[in-house]
Amino acid sequence: MAIMTGGDAAPISLTGAKKFRGDLTRTRIRWVIIGLVTLFLIVCGRLVQLGMVVQDTTIEGRTREAISASRPAILDRNGLEMAVDIRVPSLYAEPRRIIDVDDAVEKLRTVLPDLDPAWLRNKLSGEKGFVWIKRDLTPALEDKIYQLGIPGLDFLTESKRFYPGGPEASHILGSVNVDNQGIGGIEQYIDSQGLAQLQSVGIANGGNLKPVQLSIDMRVQHVMRQVLLDALTRYQAKADAGVMIDVKTGEVLGLVSLPDFDPNDPSSMIAPYNGEKAMRFNRITAGKYELGSTFKTVTIAGALDAGAIKMTDQFDARFGVRFGRFTITDFHGQHRMLSLPEVYKYSSNVGAIHIEQTWGKDNFRGFMTKVGFDSPLPIELPEKTTSYIPKTLSDVTAATASFGHGISITPLHMAAAMAAFVNNGVYEPPTVYKRTPQEVAQLAKRFISPKTSLEIRELMRLNGIEGSGSVMNRLAEGYRVGGKTGTAEKVENGRYSRSKNFNVFASAFPMDAPKYAMVVIIDEPHRESATTGDTAGWNAGEITGRIVAGVAPMLGVAPNFDQALDDQMVPVSIR
Amino acid sequence: MIRKLNILLLITSSIAFVAVYGLKYSVEEVAKNKQALERHIEQQKGQLSLLEADWSYLNQPSYIQPIIDRHIAQLNLQPIKQTQFGSLSELPMRPVQPDTAAMTALFSSLQAGVDPADKPIGGQ
Repeated sequence: MAIMTGGDAAPISLTGAKKFRGDLTRTRIRWVIIGLVTLFLIVCGRLVQLGMVVQDTTIEGRTREAISASRPAILDRNGLEMAVDIRVPSLYAEPRRIIDVDDAVEKLRTVLPDLDPAWLRNKLSGEKGFVWIKRDLTPALEDKIYQLGIPGLDFLTESKRFYPGGPEASHILGSVNVDNQGIGGIEQYIDSQGLAQLQSVGIANGGNLKPVQLSIDMRVQHVMRQVLLDALTRYQAKADAGVMIDVKTGEVLGLVSLPDFDPNDPSSMIAPYNGEKAMRFNRITAGKYELGSTFKTVTIAGALDAGAIKMTDQFDARFGVRFGRFTITDFHGQHRMLSLPEVYKYSSNVGAIHIEQTWGKDNFRGFMTKVGFDSPLPIELPEKTTSYIPKTLSDVTAATASFGHGISITPLHMAAAMAAFVNNGVYEPPTVYKRTPQEVAQLAKRFISPKTSLEIRELMRLNGIEGSGSVMNRLAEGYRVGGKTGTAEKVENGRYSRSKNFNVFASAFPMDAPKYAMVVIIDEPHRESATTGDTAGWNAGEITGRIVAGVAPMLGVAPNFDQALDDQMVPVSIR
Repeated sequence: MIRKLNILLLITSSIAFVAVYGLKYSVEEVAKNKQALERHIEQQKGQLSLLEADWSYLNQPSYIQPIIDRHIAQLNLQPIKQTQFGSLSELPMRPVQPDTAAMTALFSSLQAGVDPADKPIGGQ
């Protein structure tokens, strides 16, 4: 309430006591509000700050999901597990959540007495997010530790790969490293097909992965490995290998390459063998070799199919073939005119050269491309090599190539071609995965005519009955095996060595209705005894015979001793 | 009016307080159960995977072969030979009349301790 005293005087304002108190209260309230708002802002700011903190949830740089991620089981064609995941609990600690370190150490040591107390105390103190205490615990131990009820300790289920067959199928399976990633073989292939991504985003967990079913038959695989293992000592060889293919589908039933390794121990992959390094590779897909006389089957099949030669033709094997300074002669020299079946049976190099020359070297080179020797192997295994065949053949290389020298292919190339030759000329790309009949029909490709296929089968069976395959045939009597040997001298310091051989046996059975084709190789074999030899028939052939005798009953191939069957297959006229 | 509303609100809030308190504890209980169950499942899965691995290991041909090799002498085991396979067509047809003479011969031979079934099928 202001009192006006004069026109020019400044107004005097008087404030009553009541108003004064009111103003004071208002000021106080304002201060309290400011205080509260500041407090709230601080709390909000702290909340935002807490929200921004990124917790390090990785364990040694890997996410929890990646550690517990599993891999699909790998089954053989009959459903037997070749690789499984074992889920094992591992103990870890979060030191920043541990209240009483000494108490935790003491309690833990009652269950895990082998842990060093000083080391453990050091591990459990500090502000770290994760530390491993003990990996691969048993479920019983896990339970005991859980019962201790120590805060800040927890378990993580890790997946461990286990290969129940041990080294049985090592080259097919490959292995996995500590991070559960495939290194080699089918394991690596599975990763390349998208499993790696699934694992990294954490959905490859538990049992939600479909098992991978392979075409391998573990029984066949076992028999092949046993026989090949026995052959290593029997013939004191450096290495050997074998592969068996279902000719109708291209499925690989067994693939063994020795020396091999144990997938449960990946470091054994690169371990030296008899003091030599790099011996444990897959010789079937990642080794290329001069496959020697087995190649004559290819030469003859191509020439027959092109109509360049006939089964009744005669070839002059009286003299060697001269190329400048060199003369190529026969190992089992007959020095007379040979019919085509005789060229095959006696494995005449001279005969093979005449066949190739009648046919033409460009046609011969074209046929090699047609049967897939140039192309990389279609198989899923990542370890594979490409062939060595010159783009164009000179007269000499064409001549040597006709009996398998001067060009190198993998044994699987040969096995797949053999399978096609006996399977009415129809080729199926080799695979280690199980194939459906639709896929088989879709992938089929014709190499040679059914008529030529029949003639090749006649020749192969003939060689089994009375040629270089007769040692094999005695062991696998009744299973109608036919095949061709190949004995190649190894190249040493740029020259062919007289004493060191590389032997091959390419075969198929049962010849009256072929189901399986096989290629066996053996590196530097020796004579088993004084009465035997060191050529392919004596080692690679015998191995083949033993394998067939072992696996044929399992594969449902019944032995048949009916002479009429052989007579029908191999007419007396060509014997 | 306002007084009644206040009392009502007071009652509701105290009921809500008790309910939330109860709920919190029951949720904690459920969460604990869930965790225990998950742990149990995880453990069982781990054990199952171990047993499965064991089973497939015991079924491997490479595991069975040495067992067979060890018992070859005791069980008189031999690898099957090609000549030991027979076929249904090798079995004789069932005779129209019961062959009493053959039956008598069989029983007398069994009595004498000679079991014809020991002979391989298909001849000598």
